[in-house]
Amino acid sequence: MRINFWYISSFVISLFVIIPILTVFSSFFDNTSNYFQVLKDTFLMEYIFNSLILLVSVLILTFFIGTGSAYLVSFFNFPFSNFFKWALILSFAVPPYIYAYSLTAFFENYGTAYTILKNLFGEGNYNQSIPKFDGLLGVVLSISFSLYAYVYILARASFLYQSQNIIDLGKNLGFTKFKAFYSIILPAARPAIVAGLSLVAMETLAEFGAVDFFSINTLTTGIYNSWIAFDDLAFANQLSFFLLLFIFALFILENLSRKNAKYHFNTKAGFKQKQKIQLSGKKAFLAFSFCFLVFFLSFLFPLSQMMYWTIKFPENLIDLKILDLLMNTLYLVILSSLLLIIFGLVSNYGNRVNKNKTLNILSTLSISGYAIPGVILAVAFITFIAWFDDSVIKNLGFVSIKKVFIGSILGLVLVYFIRFYSLAYNGIKSGYEKINISVDESSYLLGYSKRKTFMNIHIPFLRNSLLFVGILVSLEIIRELPITLILRPFNFETFATTAYISASEDLLEAAAVPSLFLILIATFFIIVTSKYILRDNND
Amino acid sequence: MRKISIITLIFSVIASSFAIANEVNVFNARHYKADSELYSKFTNMTGIKVNLINGKSGALEKRIISEGADSSADLYITADAGRCGAMDAKGALQGGLTSAAIKDAVPKSFRTNKWVGIAKRARIIYYSPERVTGAELSGMTYEGLADPKWKGRLVIRKSSNIYNKSLVASLIKNNGKAATAAWAEGVVANMARTPTGNDRAQIMAVAAGEADIAVANTYYLALMLSGKKGAEQQEAAKKVKAFFPNQNDRGTHMNVSCAALVKGAPNKANAVKLVEFLLTPESQEHFTNNTFEFPMIDGVSPSPLVVNNLGLDFKQDMKTKLASYGKNQAAAVEVMTAAGWK
Repeated sequence: MRINFWYISSFVISLFVIIPILTVFSSFFDNTSNYFQVLKDTFLMEYIFNSLILLVSVLILTFFIGTGSAYLVSFFNFPFSNFFKWALILSFAVPPYIYAYSLTAFFENYGTAYTILKNLFGEGNYNQSIPKFDGLLGVVLSISFSLYAYVYILARASFLYQSQNIIDLGKNLGFTKFKAFYSIILPAARPAIVAGLSLVAMETLAEFGAVDFFSINTLTTGIYNSWIAFDDLAFANQLSFFLLLFIFALFILENLSRKNAKYHFNTKAGFKQKQKIQLSGKKAFLAFSFCFLVFFLSFLFPLSQMMYWTIKFPENLIDLKILDLLMNTLYLVILSSLLLIIFGLVSNYGNRVNKNKTLNILSTLSISGYAIPGVILAVAFITFIAWFDDSVIKNLGFVSIKKVFIGSILGLVLVYFIRFYSLAYNGIKSGYEKINISVDESSYLLGYSKRKTFMNIHIPFLRNSLLFVGILVSLEIIRELPITLILRPFNFETFATTAYISASEDLLEAAAVPSLFLILIATFFIIVTSKYILRDNND
Repeated sequence: MRKISIITLIFSVIASSFAIANEVNVFNARHYKADSELYSKFTNMTGIKVNLINGKSGALEKRIISEGADSSADLYITADAGRCGAMDAKGALQGGLTSAAIKDAVPKSFRTNKWVGIAKRARIIYYSPERVTGAELSGMTYEGLADPKWKGRLVIRKSSNIYNKSLVASLIKNNGKAATAAWAEGVVANMARTPTGNDRAQIMAVAAGEADIAVANTYYLALMLSGKKGAEQQEAAKKVKAFFPNQNDRGTHMNVSCAALVKGAPNKANAVKLVEFLLTPESQEHFTNNTFEFPMIDGVSPSPLVVNNLGLDFKQDMKTKLASYGKNQAAAVEVMTAAGWK
């Protein structure tokens, strides 16, 4: 094997991404416990129980909402079905923590629901009859309505490429629509749906904002608290072991479904364009109602609650330095997406031209950053830098590097990089898999260098994948909370941090303005790029 | 060309973090708008720039401790004496808040040489005058919250909340751990619901009839009464009354927002100046009128909303040292968890 530029770059990138991930699990060796084992056992059971309940409930809900709405818009025509096709992905613009603020604002005692009832029916004590969506239930709803879009997008993409042939098969066998759905359509789309669900599962386990807002203890907040508040590394270690078990199970599940997915790709030859069934009357109304309800609950409801507050308490709008927040948010988005795309490309290409086993394993490991909750990654990063600085840099007689990495844009972007590298790497990889290796060989035969092949042939081919990766990463960074909160420099706020800080001080009304802007910017991103997210135009 | 611009970018980022200026770096876990107004005022007066990093106390503490001697933090400002005490216990603070201005302004039990209280709050009982009689409340204490007569009538937030940790820590300091453990079990048995929501949500639960008494900090009711939370909450606030416990013995449990001097602070002198500024009558008045806390110093009176609706003339617990909140925190968590306090 020849060591070349591409090999080294891929190697270095992957190694860099792995280091902090390893720190998470290796920095847990001291035992500095503050409380008794009996209590720890109580906590441990509670955290595992909460995480499990949360995971299972969110998966069930997102499965029904995501697959249900994807099925309706892919197979049927009904009023506004073309609108819902892309409107249903707008829920991505509302992060779970903002959904949590809206739920609380609307349903709490003397909240928005109370005001509405009072204005409709006059004075009265309505508080007792308004349902309360807080605690675990609140978290489940917040996460589900924000994340079902993962399932929706992947399920819809899979439904879209199902050939008319298999639907005809069901018809010929005399299946009802429902039977055709669960015995033909659903199994064929299973790998895509499982892939969507495992994304939802990872995000659920990593969720910090909403879980913290409703003060529910999960494994993730448990690790954060025992690490940060109690310096109890031993207990944090125990918790992360369990979290790791969860994540490994998901990882394996996701990989298996990805492998299976390959068998389901249709060859162009046997593909027959599907005809959508026209619904009318009661059926059309039901399909419309379902999609509208999902759209309303996931997007219109939080959007209008935030707007209502912004109008009701306009002084918060005046106080906020919106332009600064916008520039800061965009700055992080652009810098990070560029870095992720460039390095994701280099690393993918390095893997492609070298076909080296070590490199392959290293790349696979390096993408696990996505599975580690951001809040834990951020603390691990600080711990690693502090250790490295104290035990290596200073011993070599250099000046401290802590300030270069902790509380700087550089550090912030690096941790984003570690966290979202998997999105970039896999997104670009799936694009690369569509470029036949013979294309490279022809290029070399024509006398192109590796660099020229990369620049002039691969990049134009990969344009759509790169754009898609860019959008995904941007949306993640606009919504990202824990890493930004922990690592940002002095006097640097984004929409997400401003919203969170107001909310944590019980100033939900003040949190409404930055939340509203966050939703609007993310919505703008989604609308402009919806055709790439929905992938109607490329296969 | 592209390489050069990337390198320039990286260097400018690095350089900017080494810039030296007349400044003070505040790690801030108190996020009131009123605070940032005060900081701007300080900058205008002294020319010292206040750099802020806002965040959750836990994460800020972790950052300060990891950065160690190289930390850029000068002051750590947070909303509970228990947190300042815990930072002290971790060896992350240094002495130096000992100027005459500070010592004269702040009573001894509300400061150490490493951290000082900058504004006071009391954790008190709110009740529904419709459903709770004067006789029931007469002579009421924190200890009395465990009395079976309140069965199914009490709301209080989660045990993970720092205000509760400090309250329970003060009970441990005064009554011992065993007695407080028994007390916590009584409190849990009296709860009208599994703890949920913040302090304001507890007050609203009493207003809405979910419970008869609630434990919450003083400034929340004033905030609701001020109308800053909208007309509905103003109306709700009028349905509850405040009661100051333990008037016949040590006094009502007091807590503070505190400013702590970080070990290795690069701008120590400026940090002391900022703390002194926060303790001037003007700053204290600004706190009381906007955050509805009690002033830390004599000669400034609380907001009229606090005085008229909560009363001013109550006995504060000046005996229990606030430093004990940090020291007894672990024990407090232990007794609450053992009692099944969610």
